[in-house]
Amino acid sequence: MTDKTGFSLKLKSDASQRLAVVLINVFIFALAYAILRAPAFVSLAFILLVIVGLLAADKYRIIAWVYDLFIRHKKLAFTVAFLCAMAMPLLFAPKSSQYIAHIAVMACIYSMVCLGLNFQMGSADMVNFAPAAFMGIGAYSMAVVTVNMGLSGWIGILAAIFFSCTAGLLIGLPTLRTKGYYLSLVTMALQLVFTQLIKNIPYFGGPNGITGVKSLSIGDFAFYKSYTLFGIKLAPHVPLFFFCLLILIFFIYIAMRVGVSHYGLSLNTIAQDEVAANCLGINCNRRKLFAFIIGSIFCGIGGALNAGLTSFVGPSDYTFARSLIFICMVILGGMDNPIGVVVGAFLLTVLTEKLREFADYAQLIYALVLVTVLIVRPAGLIPKRVRNYCALFNRKLRQLAEPAAPSVSEQTFQSEN
Amino acid sequence: MSTMLEVRNLHTSYGRIPMLRDVNLDIAEGEVSCVLGANGSGKTTLVKAILNMVKADQGTMKLGGVCIDSWPTHKRVAEGVSLSGAAVGTFPKMTVETNLKMGAFYVNDAKILQDRLEEIYTSFPVLKDRLQQKAGTLSGGERTMLAIARAVINKPKLLILDEPSLGLAPIMVEEVFDIIQRLKKDKMTILLVEQNAAKALAVSSRGYVIQKGAIVFSGASDVLQKSEFVENPVM
Repeated sequence: MTDKTGFSLKLKSDASQRLAVVLINVFIFALAYAILRAPAFVSLAFILLVIVGLLAADKYRIIAWVYDLFIRHKKLAFTVAFLCAMAMPLLFAPKSSQYIAHIAVMACIYSMVCLGLNFQMGSADMVNFAPAAFMGIGAYSMAVVTVNMGLSGWIGILAAIFFSCTAGLLIGLPTLRTKGYYLSLVTMALQLVFTQLIKNIPYFGGPNGITGVKSLSIGDFAFYKSYTLFGIKLAPHVPLFFFCLLILIFFIYIAMRVGVSHYGLSLNTIAQDEVAANCLGINCNRRKLFAFIIGSIFCGIGGALNAGLTSFVGPSDYTFARSLIFICMVILGGMDNPIGVVVGAFLLTVLTEKLREFADYAQLIYALVLVTVLIVRPAGLIPKRVRNYCALFNRKLRQLAEPAAPSVSEQTFQSEN
Repeated sequence: MSTMLEVRNLHTSYGRIPMLRDVNLDIAEGEVSCVLGANGSGKTTLVKAILNMVKADQGTMKLGGVCIDSWPTHKRVAEGVSLSGAAVGTFPKMTVETNLKMGAFYVNDAKILQDRLEEIYTSFPVLKDRLQQKAGTLSGGERTMLAIARAVINKPKLLILDEPSLGLAPIMVEEVFDIIQRLKKDKMTILLVEQNAAKALAVSSRGYVIQKGAIVFSGASDVLQKSEFVENPVM
C-alpha cells in the first residue's frame, strides 16, 4: 500500500534513521520543556501550535512515520527518551522555578490517572465517570495511613493500591450488568456518592480534608525536600519528580504491553461487538473487571502521589468536575493510545495551570480547544494505530508475521466508514 | 457414528413469553444437519441457547457425551462450539487478519496459528487479498466469508452457521454453499440454520423443521425434501 499523498522521507541508511530518532526525541522533550517554562501566553501559543501541528502531522502521515521509525529502533528510542525524561527534573532544579516543577509533577500524576482511565474508556469503551473518585481513594488511603495512623508513606502507597484495587473490583462488579450509557450513569453516581461520603465522615476530616500528609522518603532522604547540589539550591519537587517520572514510564510500558497483548485486544473486541467477543470464547466479564481493576490501581497510585505532593487531601480535589477533566484529557490525546493519552494529559494540565491567573477565561479556552479538536478529529490528537496482534513485543510471533505491514492510522479508514 | 451434540427437552423463554418448547436435537459427528424455519420460528434462539447466550429454562445438552449445562458461553466456545451468523458481527475497526486471529483466540502456539491461517487463506482466497484492510470496509459477502473463516479457524467440534446466506447476492450464496460443501468433505460437524430450504437440504444429511419454537419434523434430508414442509413453502 503506497500512499502518494503521505509523508515520504526515506531514510535509507541505518545511521540516518538513528540520528532521526535521537533528534525527534530531543525535539519532543525540548518542546515540552518550552511549554512548561514559557510565560502564560507564550506557553499557550506553543500549546496551540502543538495541537495544530499534530492535527496536520497526522494528515500527512508523519505520526505513523515517526511511530514506525521508533518501533524499528525501539531500544535507541527508549534509551534517548528515558535520558531526556530524566534530564527534565534537573532543568527545573533551581528553587526559583519551583512552581514550574510543581506543574510538571502534576502533569506526571494526571498522566498516570489518564492511563488508568484509558483502560476502561479507550480500550473497552466503558466510559467511567469516576476516575477522580479512584484517585481520591488512593489519596485518602495515603492521608489516613500517614496522618491518622502515623505510618510511613510507602505503607500509604501499598494501602492506596489495595483500596483502589478493592474499590475497582467492587465498582466493577455491579457495572458488569450494565452497558453503555447505563454503565456511565452508575459510575457517575458512584463519583457523587464518593464526594458526599468523604465530606460527611469526620474520620476523613469532613469538608476540611486532612492536612500534613507526609511525602515518601527512603531513610533520611525525603522525596519532598530542598537539597543543595553543586551549590545550587534545588526545588523541593526534584526527587519526587524523578520518582513520578519513573512510575509514569513504568505505567506507559504496562499500558503498551497490555495494549498489544491478548488482554488489550480482547478489550478492543468487547468495545466493538461484545456478543461476537463472547462467541469467540472471550470471558467478557473477567476482561472488563481486569480493565476496572488495573485502571483503578493506576488512578489510586496517582492519587497517593498527589496527596504526597500537595500534603493535603480534601473532597474538593476529587470531584465530578475533576473526573470530567480526566475524560477530556483522554479524548483530546487519543483514546486507546498510551502516548496520545500522556500528551493530552500534559497539554491540558499545563493549559489549566498557565491560565490560572485568567481563571475566568481558562474554561472558555479549554472548551474551545476541546470542541475544535473533536470537530476536526474525533479520534484525538494522536489516534490509535491499527495493531498487529502481539507483533510489537512478542518476538516469536513477529518473526512469523509477514514483512511489516504498512501502518494505517485509525483515522484514515474511519472517515470512509 | 457417535453424537456430537445432544439436546434434550430444551425450553427457553423471553420473559414470560415462551420461545422454544421441548426441542430435541441429535447432531451426528462429521455430518451436516440443518434446521429450517421461517422468521420468528426460534432458529436463532435455538442457536443462542446452544451457546448459552440465552439461558435455558429446562433441558440438558451434551457435547461429545459431556454435559455442558453449567458452562458459560466462553467455555462452550473454548471446548469447541463455534458460531458464525447474523448475531455475531465482525470487528469493523480491526484488520481482517486480526479478526481471524481473534477467532483462534485459544491457539497459543504461533506455529500452529500460522498453519491455520495458511489453511484459511487457501480455502478463502477472497480474504487473502484483504488481510490488512479493516473488516468494516469489506462487502457483505466478504464479511460473511470472514465470519465463517473466523469460526472455522478454531477447528471446532461443532460449527454452527446461522443463516449464512442472509442478505447475499445469489452468486455469493453459491460460494457460501460451496464452502459448506468443502467443510463437509473435511468431515466437520456442522449445524446449518437456514431459510433457504432447497440449498440447505442439498448439502445436509439430516434435517429439522422448527415452527413456533417446536421441532415439527426431524429426519433424513431426502425425506424432508419431499415432505409437505418443503413442498409447501408457507411454514
